[in-house]
Amino acid sequence: MSDDRNNNAGKGDDQVLQWVTYRLGDETYGINVMQVQEVLRYSEIAPVPGAPDYVLGIINLRGNVVTVIDTRARFGLPPEEVTDNTRVVIIESDEQVVGILVDSVAEVVYLKSSEIDSAPNVGTEESAKFIQGVSNRDGELLILVDLNKLLSDDEWDELSSL
Amino acid sequence: MSFDVDEDILQDFLVEAGEILEQLQEQLVDLENNPEDKDLLNAIFRGYHTVKGGAGFLSLTELVEICHGAENVFDVMRNGQRSLTPELMDTILQATDVVVEMFEKVKMREPLEPADATLVEVLHKLSNPEVPGENIFADVESAAPVAEPEPEVIEETFELEDDDDTGSPSELIEEITEDEFEALLDELHGTGSAPGAKAAPAPSAAPAASGNEDITDDEFEALLDELHGKGQFGGESAASAPPQPTAPAAAATTDSDEISDDEFEALLDQLHGAGKGPGADAPAEKPAEKPRVKVENPAPVAAAPEKKPAAPAPKPEPQAAKPAPAPVAKPAEPAAKKDEKKAAAAAPQAETTVRVDTRRLDQIMNMVGELVLVRNRLLSLGISVNDESMSKAIANLDVVTGDLQGAVMQTRMQPIKKVFGRFPRVVRDLARSLKKEITLELEGEETDLDKNLVEALADPLVHLVRNSVDHGIEMPDERQASGKARMGTVKLSASQEGDHILLVIEDDGKGMDPEKLKDIAISRGVLDADAAARMSDVEAFNLIFAPGFSTKTEISDISGRGVGMDVVKTKINQLNGSINIDSQLGRGTRLEIKVPLTLAILPTLMIVVGKQTFALPLGAVSEIINMDIKKTNTVDGQLTMIVRSKAIPLFFLGEWLIRGPKNIERDKGHVVVVQMGTKQVGFVVDALIGQEEVVIKPLDALLQGTPGMAGATITSDGGIALILDIPSLLKRYARK
Repeated sequence: MSDDRNNNAGKGDDQVLQWVTYRLGDETYGINVMQVQEVLRYSEIAPVPGAPDYVLGIINLRGNVVTVIDTRARFGLPPEEVTDNTRVVIIESDEQVVGILVDSVAEVVYLKSSEIDSAPNVGTEESAKFIQGVSNRDGELLILVDLNKLLSDDEWDELSSL
Repeated sequence: MSFDVDEDILQDFLVEAGEILEQLQEQLVDLENNPEDKDLLNAIFRGYHTVKGGAGFLSLTELVEICHGAENVFDVMRNGQRSLTPELMDTILQATDVVVEMFEKVKMREPLEPADATLVEVLHKLSNPEVPGENIFADVESAAPVAEPEPEVIEETFELEDDDDTGSPSELIEEITEDEFEALLDELHGTGSAPGAKAAPAPSAAPAASGNEDITDDEFEALLDELHGKGQFGGESAASAPPQPTAPAAAATTDSDEISDDEFEALLDQLHGAGKGPGADAPAEKPAEKPRVKVENPAPVAAAPEKKPAAPAPKPEPQAAKPAPAPVAKPAEPAAKKDEKKAAAAAPQAETTVRVDTRRLDQIMNMVGELVLVRNRLLSLGISVNDESMSKAIANLDVVTGDLQGAVMQTRMQPIKKVFGRFPRVVRDLARSLKKEITLELEGEETDLDKNLVEALADPLVHLVRNSVDHGIEMPDERQASGKARMGTVKLSASQEGDHILLVIEDDGKGMDPEKLKDIAISRGVLDADAAARMSDVEAFNLIFAPGFSTKTEISDISGRGVGMDVVKTKINQLNGSINIDSQLGRGTRLEIKVPLTLAILPTLMIVVGKQTFALPLGAVSEIINMDIKKTNTVDGQLTMIVRSKAIPLFFLGEWLIRGPKNIERDKGHVVVVQMGTKQVGFVVDALIGQEEVVIKPLDALLQGTPGMAGATITSDGGIALILDIPSLLKRYARK
């Protein structure tokens, strides 16, 4: 890790990060690859009564129970039918393993930190909270998601107050 | 004070000393009842000594000081130079409390404060026997025979230059440093203990005694230890003294100048261990020869006895040489176990135990849980596939997995003694401060249950026992007036009943008055008068578990805050347990707690609601009946059903657990009747799958605390089922 950094520093103070991109509606979002554990096909999700509505339910991940959240609900997007491309991305954030349901997973891209701009006022208020930055690649906007905020403290509070 | 010592060592000390202190509490109260018990005195002495040793190594001088004081007192006591008086006992208990306090501070990494000077002073005074000079001298004398072999041991292993001087051990002793002396003593402990029995009669007191002239109290204690040890292990000489006196022992001894007390203690224990293990039947002479052949300097060994003034010396001498190589037999193993051995010096089985981090056990338990799930899955697959060899293999797997599961669960089991052990002290202190006379009877201390349960039960049990002592047992005069013995009895028992553990706390005190309880409940607003009138006695007793209920009008620091019983009940319920109370006015009260053997595996009833599978803890399910809409009535807006001529409220789980549009067919399905304390509730479900043992998987942080959900589990078909938490489910959904 530190080696990488040094190398990058040598090239001109420009750290290269990898991002896993996924589609949600018409937009492309990116998550830091270091936080992605695996990508699963859609499987039956058991709903949890009494949970907040953006929590879809729980799945069995090789004997572990993993909570799946609906990023669409989280970003204020209308719900969408499950298709063949629907994926569950298992991410690790704050030592917590969570699955997020996305329309499809696209690719892994390399971005230099100089290519990342701070978030403009994109989308709704609701989604802006979770955005770390944006990057313009080949005329297409990639929205970089801050996962820690996606599962932020407000949500814990909301859950614990139930 | 610095904690820059190796964290590992500190941790070891904390674990080890923690256990010893726990034992001490119990032993001290035992001692009060059997003040003459020599073994007990020794055990307590050793306990303090070990804590002191560890504390010394970590330079916790404050702790050393107080342990040292207590240790000295027990030293004189076990020598019969002082008898146990209640005042002495109080002082000792006080000292023990201080030790525990300091110990807690060490745990919190807080600096220690020196113990109260007067307490230390008192301890010092108490540690003086009436006729000190004579006794000490006697000690030195008796210590001498053991001391003598020292030089040989040293030489053989150390290869000291002055081999020829061995004849006069005293000179040698004079030359060596205090550290070395300790080393010698420790070695002697071993040497003395193995061959000792026959050689015991004190030979050649003089030379050694002269050498020992200026040894300190501490060293005396060491000597005393040796003498004690001797008798214990004497019979079983280290017959199988290994043919090759290899490195470890020699290494350990050669380093003696630098190594600490602690390491010597370890060494000492090794010696014990070595002497203990091997067959006791081999003739003493035989092993005696062996080491002589092995050691590099056999000559001085032989020479030494001749020079000695006392006659019986020759025999012990060569024998004494033997144990030095003996520990080589298994030095590494006993070292790891030193604490256990110390705790139970005479219990050989302690050698076979290993300390394992509970987290590792939890991991194993989890993995076994997975295996059980896979097995369940295979079992259900196997039924559909009609292949004989396949079903044979699966049947085999079934058996092995079952055994494995049992075995792993066994590793997590601990005797309930761990909790019970603290009660003698609790009861004694309470009884003293309340001026009551109480005996505590413990039964079934060996009952094993899951480690987590042992820990979780500790607080509720303490609370209940305190309650029995405080509220249950009357004052002695009062008891006498009502024709009872002045001495009250609190009985605490544990036993296994199938897959449950039954804990009973019983007292022969004044019992509870159901009418009084009802009155209080009414005055506190817990209950209205009509409901009270209809209440059975048992229901009335259960009122004490209601929040905000306390029978004591004034608050004592022991009990009576009125939150306790409520908390106790909640806690027991969390453990999937139940608590029942019965009482007879004037005769006493009996509390029964039932908890499952383990928390990791839960027997459940699998049910289907909508299209989803849920698991109900089987312990709560009392019966299952078919839904019959004709038998239902609506009372005050609540649907009820008559079950065994009792009206119970009926709830459609589908209304609570299914999201989105609900189309519940009211006249179909089954009613699962669940028991909650004295209440019964019926849940209407769509279908029943059956009974299944499941491994509880906690919901992760995002979903933790979701009302009504205790966790999730993987079902035998690989699906997922939510485990329902009935009390919280009702709390969340049943209120209108």
